[in-house]
Amino acid sequence: MNRKWIFTFVAFVIGFMLAIQFKTTQEPVVRDTRDIRELRNEVEQEREREQQLSSEIKKAQDLLAQYGHTLDEDHENIDVVLDQQIADLRTEAGLTEVRGAGVVITIEPFYDELSPNHMRRTPTPERFRYLINELNVNGADSIAVADERLISTSAFRDVNGITHLNYRRLPPLPLEVKVLTDDPERLHNRMVVSESVEYFEIDGFLLTVEQVDDLILPGYDQTPRVRYMEEVKEG
Amino acid sequence: MWLPIIGLLLGITLGIMTEFRVPAEYSSYLSIAVLAALDTLFGGIRAHLQETFDSNVFVTGFFFNILLAAGLAFLGVHLGVDLYLAAIFAFGVRLFNNIAVIRRMLLSKWQAKRSEGQA
Repeated sequence: MNRKWIFTFVAFVIGFMLAIQFKTTQEPVVRDTRDIRELRNEVEQEREREQQLSSEIKKAQDLLAQYGHTLDEDHENIDVVLDQQIADLRTEAGLTEVRGAGVVITIEPFYDELSPNHMRRTPTPERFRYLINELNVNGADSIAVADERLISTSAFRDVNGITHLNYRRLPPLPLEVKVLTDDPERLHNRMVVSESVEYFEIDGFLLTVEQVDDLILPGYDQTPRVRYMEEVKEG
Repeated sequence: MWLPIIGLLLGITLGIMTEFRVPAEYSSYLSIAVLAALDTLFGGIRAHLQETFDSNVFVTGFFFNILLAAGLAFLGVHLGVDLYLAAIFAFGVRLFNNIAVIRRMLLSKWQAKRSEGQA
């Protein structure tokens, strides 16, 4: 009898230890610690995403209706719709010339050319990246630096101390950064007080922001290459 | 026979139901303690079958083995030598030995019972 109870006790202790060890080795429970404000923020973000998605759906439906329409009306005209769509996609990718209202930022040497302070021929890629990011944050649609169009794969690179864009060296100063946007005044105001102006000044460059009503941005003139992407087959 | 199994189940349910958790850096001690406890348990079952069971030896062995294993692991951590491997090895080998002996004894018991029934 005594023996049985001892075994029971030992088995109980072993079971207890096993259970605790099992619970310990399992992933710790991640608690949801977001407060109301964060949750609201998240809801807001999701709502925006929903809006974006529904507008995309609407676009796709319009296109579908257009296809259906031309199919019903006359079979010859389907090429027109396809051409139109290809043209739209090329515009979106930045391969075509675009025109509209926007802002021109001129980059000049802050000091006299002859002064010993001027060090670099062109601003560094970091400065350009900062500037482009600020432009994008403030609602830029399309950007061209020194008549070199920025597309999604464009990169500023430093080659032997000279800043290159789209594998071409940027011309000497003064440079013009042309930006198209829906709201040129807002972009202009924001850029006038932006941090980029100060950063460029530290490096010895002067940024002048100017609002322009009619601006022409050249298209990307090289062949855009897609090297590390593959098409995903949708089931 | 059934009482120890009920005790095991009770311990598991109680352990799962409590919100007690060992910090991650001490979980290795607990695992080695579990191993030591299992070894002692199977040793006890073997002794019970061999009719050499001594409750004092069993109970002291149970706690002493657990403490020794955890202490060895602790020492190993502080010396920078994986001493807990020694405990795992020793207990693992003994566990297998004990289980093999238990199996053989149960098997021979069962066979004896069957031949008795046939005869």
